[in-house]
Amino acid sequence: MGSLFRSEDMTLCQLFLQSEASYACVSELGELGLVQFRDLNPDVNAFQRKFVNEVRRCDEMERKLRFLEKEIKKDGIPMLDTGDNPDAPVPREMIDLEATFEKLESEMNDVNANTEALKKNFLELTELKHILRKTQTFFDEAEHHNIQAMHEPMVTDDNVGLLGEEVARTSQALKLGFVAGVILRERIPAFERMLWRVCRGNVFLKQAEIDSPLEDPVTGDKVDKSVFIIFFQGEQLKSRVKKICEGFRATLYPCPETQSERREMAIGVMTRIEDLNTVLGQTQDHRHRLLVAAAKNIKVWFIKVRKIKAIYHTLNMFNLDVTQKCLIAECWCPVADLDRIQQALHRGNERSGSSVPSILNRMNTRQEPPTYNRLNKFTSVFQHIVDAYGVASYREVNPAPWTIISFPFLFAIMFGDLGHGTVMLLFALFLILREKQIAAKVADNEIFGMFFNGRYIMMLMGAFSIYTGLIYNDIFSKSLNIFGSGWKPDPVMYDYYKMDKSSYKINPNASSYSNGPYPIGLDPVWALALNKITITNSLKMKISVIFGVIHMTFGLSLSLLNHRYFKKPLNIYCEFIPQLIFMCSIFGYLIMVIIVKWLKFTEKDTRIAPNLIIGLINMFLFNYTKESDLWYSGQKGFQIFLVMVAGFCVPWMLCVKPYILWKRNKSGQTNTYTLINDNTYQQENDVPEVVHHVDIENSNEPDDEIEEKEFDIGEVLIGQAIHTIEYCLGCISHTASYLRLWALSLAHGQLSEVLWSMVLQIAFQMNSQIISTIMIIVCFAFWATLTVIILVLMEGMSAFLHALRLHWVEFQSKFYKGDGYLFIPFSFDNLIEYSVEETSSRRR
Amino acid sequence: MEYHDLYFNIDHGYLEGIVRGFKSGILKQGDYLNLVQCETLEDLKLHLQSTDYGNFLANEASPLSVSTIDDKLKEKMVIEFNHMRNHCFEPLATFLDYITYSYMIDNIILLITGTLRQRPINELIPKCHPLGSFEQMEAIHIASTPAELYNAVLVDTPLAPYFMDCISEQDLDELHIEIIRNTLYKAYLEDFYQFCKSLGGATSEAMCEALAFEADRRAFIITINSIGTELSKEDRAKLYPRCGKLYPDGLSLLGRADDQDQVRAVADFYGDYKEIFDGAGNNPGDKTLEDKFFEHEVKLMKNSFMMQFQFGVFYAFVKLKEQENRNIVWIAECVAQRHRAKIDSYIPIFQ
Repeated sequence: MGSLFRSEDMTLCQLFLQSEASYACVSELGELGLVQFRDLNPDVNAFQRKFVNEVRRCDEMERKLRFLEKEIKKDGIPMLDTGDNPDAPVPREMIDLEATFEKLESEMNDVNANTEALKKNFLELTELKHILRKTQTFFDEAEHHNIQAMHEPMVTDDNVGLLGEEVARTSQALKLGFVAGVILRERIPAFERMLWRVCRGNVFLKQAEIDSPLEDPVTGDKVDKSVFIIFFQGEQLKSRVKKICEGFRATLYPCPETQSERREMAIGVMTRIEDLNTVLGQTQDHRHRLLVAAAKNIKVWFIKVRKIKAIYHTLNMFNLDVTQKCLIAECWCPVADLDRIQQALHRGNERSGSSVPSILNRMNTRQEPPTYNRLNKFTSVFQHIVDAYGVASYREVNPAPWTIISFPFLFAIMFGDLGHGTVMLLFALFLILREKQIAAKVADNEIFGMFFNGRYIMMLMGAFSIYTGLIYNDIFSKSLNIFGSGWKPDPVMYDYYKMDKSSYKINPNASSYSNGPYPIGLDPVWALALNKITITNSLKMKISVIFGVIHMTFGLSLSLLNHRYFKKPLNIYCEFIPQLIFMCSIFGYLIMVIIVKWLKFTEKDTRIAPNLIIGLINMFLFNYTKESDLWYSGQKGFQIFLVMVAGFCVPWMLCVKPYILWKRNKSGQTNTYTLINDNTYQQENDVPEVVHHVDIENSNEPDDEIEEKEFDIGEVLIGQAIHTIEYCLGCISHTASYLRLWALSLAHGQLSEVLWSMVLQIAFQMNSQIISTIMIIVCFAFWATLTVIILVLMEGMSAFLHALRLHWVEFQSKFYKGDGYLFIPFSFDNLIEYSVEETSSRRR
Repeated sequence: MEYHDLYFNIDHGYLEGIVRGFKSGILKQGDYLNLVQCETLEDLKLHLQSTDYGNFLANEASPLSVSTIDDKLKEKMVIEFNHMRNHCFEPLATFLDYITYSYMIDNIILLITGTLRQRPINELIPKCHPLGSFEQMEAIHIASTPAELYNAVLVDTPLAPYFMDCISEQDLDELHIEIIRNTLYKAYLEDFYQFCKSLGGATSEAMCEALAFEADRRAFIITINSIGTELSKEDRAKLYPRCGKLYPDGLSLLGRADDQDQVRAVADFYGDYKEIFDGAGNNPGDKTLEDKFFEHEVKLMKNSFMMQFQFGVFYAFVKLKEQENRNIVWIAECVAQRHRAKIDSYIPIFQ
């Protein structure tokens, strides 16, 4: 089973890299992705590290690239993503890249500055155009009023428009000044109010909206603006009005007073706008060409820059040798891959043309190595389920390989329905077959991504649900009668005309049972019976207990593997064996009784079959008063014996281990225990070239030293007591907990039955054929939707969570410590999506 | 409001959570120790990247200047503040608005002073604090007398009621501007104090203490700054905010103070302030009175986070963030000017 069974054998290595070769070597290791570097200068600030300048240059390059990317996105140019993965460029190339980006950025900036200036110009001209147009209408109106006022002298002053009045006055004697300008539309109310207040009502403001939104030259947003014209009298007011305009960022434009001048100006403005348009077009073209060229390479550039940055980040974690000629790195790596790492280092050396080879030394350490399981896309999802609870301790038995089967199976016991299982399987198969296409699209959709990542687990869950559905004989709450039921109605008892139609209760004692048991699963005749629930409940409950006890016992036996592997014989004799006996004598006996009951009692003698629950309770109460409860000879004696054995196991678990430890400690043997405890893997690691680096260890991380604890009998006792109580109570509560398999299965079956009878069945019961046809179409759509949403999605989710819990709590608590930490190798693969800071922070 | 605490989380629980989250992003002592070791502003940027500030300077082209850092720091704080302001319910909305008023007062004073010195308004606007900007702000230079200022600009702003007391002032010159500023502040603090009191519960408990300190600090500073100026004692007494611990006895004593020693004598009557004045000195190596006040403020604000179900945390967050900005800018200035002697006189916030 390789590394899925236990995590990979890891070793701490020391790397001596020649300064000139270090970059190439790290780059090769990054491509390989099999080593996890340790930070050797954790106390050194980010900006005091050796390669901080290179990192900074990369930051700068990234900034330029982001700037370019932003511009490219702004213009909506598609970025070419070829998906190819260029090697990390050599340091020399970094300068070229820098120069390229520098040139591009400055060119971009020039173009942008030009465009901005042109656009600003354009905006001003457009605004002026609008002003001329709108003011023309103001003046026209004014003229009109004026004429009107002259023609109709009877009209009182109130009826004459205000402007008309003023213009009329203008014509008399007073010279009215005016300014015209453009202002953001949303600022008009405040603007108007302030004008009124400051000038005490002595100005007249006329405004008109510009219909088309104008483009802001700096941000490129579309903004709504309005043209306004203010009439006032006198110089003092003029300066005030101008100040207010300035305060509200209104742009003022010169507007000639006579109509002919205005017209002339309008024509001039129009021609200038046209000229500007051509220039603007050319600038935009130039910009577009630049961006299109950049868009072709930008993804590759990003990858390159990120790789460089990642390499220098890694180099920053290294120690400098005293002679400054080589860098010293420490890393975790899998023992099995040492050759590949050596080869990568060799390649790196060759590439850099360094004469002195890089040296890879295995080191001896007392630190806990990281946990590394080699995964593929199928196993990874199961490993994630386990890791979500806790990463396995180094080299402890990994529950993932069994989870692959037991998880979908327990799920299916709860979800057992052939129809729903098929729906799930088909969906999962769709995801798997279209894997490549979907993976590209799914990246940014979190919810769908969840389904997509779980596609393999869904496939298995669907397949197992089909199987359990077949056993339960349940397809969308109906039964399949493939082989013909074993029950033939007794013509006397089940006379169609005489019997009570409301209760098709199958009496097991009726002599109508003929063909022998149904070949696979539940006899379909039960689907018709009124006591269907009773029989399935009994069946499913027993199945739940049987599978639960087997599952837990299996977990328990995995703990044996752990104890043997970590060489803790004490744990085998003082924990594993009494635990196993405890479990078997109570629950092992229970499932044995269940199976015997199935085999021994046929349909003929159901009446005398014992009640197992009462029996179990009486077993503990030593209550054997009723003779009828006993159904095999020697039952009383055997059961008393079992209870005594289980009772005896408790003090065994509780006392023996602390006692032995205490005794060992007293006779000065404590070392053997701690040695076994802490240094197990050292013993079997027959490392040939052990370089002892304890001094470096000590100087770097004194905290990591595992302190040998003082032996404290009280602490050991308390720990053992908690452990024992937890186990004994856990056995009972966990067995009961597996009954959720039955409960959820029951709920699922009932829910789908309700859905069938409340929705789809209505359509079948219509009198008229036509109505029935229409109703079937409508109801089917409704039923199908609800089936998918409620029964497959929601019930599936709940069954998933329960299966998860059964694995995390009931199964893994029997053997799994889960206090390791993940092996996160330095690899370029993650870089394409994340930038380095993110990956390094995740590493922390 | 009865059962105030019980219902607090319905309306304000989310934002209290957010503000406590923001608070944990405030730089710790360890960060400052790293920051003061920086050789250049680039180093500073690199270190800030590893804190809650993240990539806030990533898109700035080098070379960095202190003012860009300052702007970006302010921008970040304003984004956080506005996020909270946009998500809040009454009465928290009003409360947060109250916080912005002090920035509005500062902006108004800044603009008036600027226009007095004939600076163009476009140059002044970027210097205003973005939290205190309001629509009519840019047109402020049309006013030449306080009455005009009120009628034209301030009447629509929430500051209008505070301005009532200064309408009678005749001119807008340096002295009067200071008077206006302090009168506005006084009215603002008293109003804010009353508002917090009316909210009741833990909010008034935490906020009244904070505002009382703010009021007293202003009273002390006004007194010290006015010694030796033409401001008369009666006028000076009018500027003291009357919501602090000094009110009423301490204020009347301060009103009669003629020199620094008399101010110190007043402070001696109050335990907290005695400590502040005792710790401050003008000798090199001593902390200035201003810094001591800041330190005390930081202490108060940190205490505010100890209470739950109250708005004081929002005020405290803004104040602490402001202090942090001052610290970073101070360190950045010291680094930029290669003047490392005083780089350590920032005010640490959290350990």
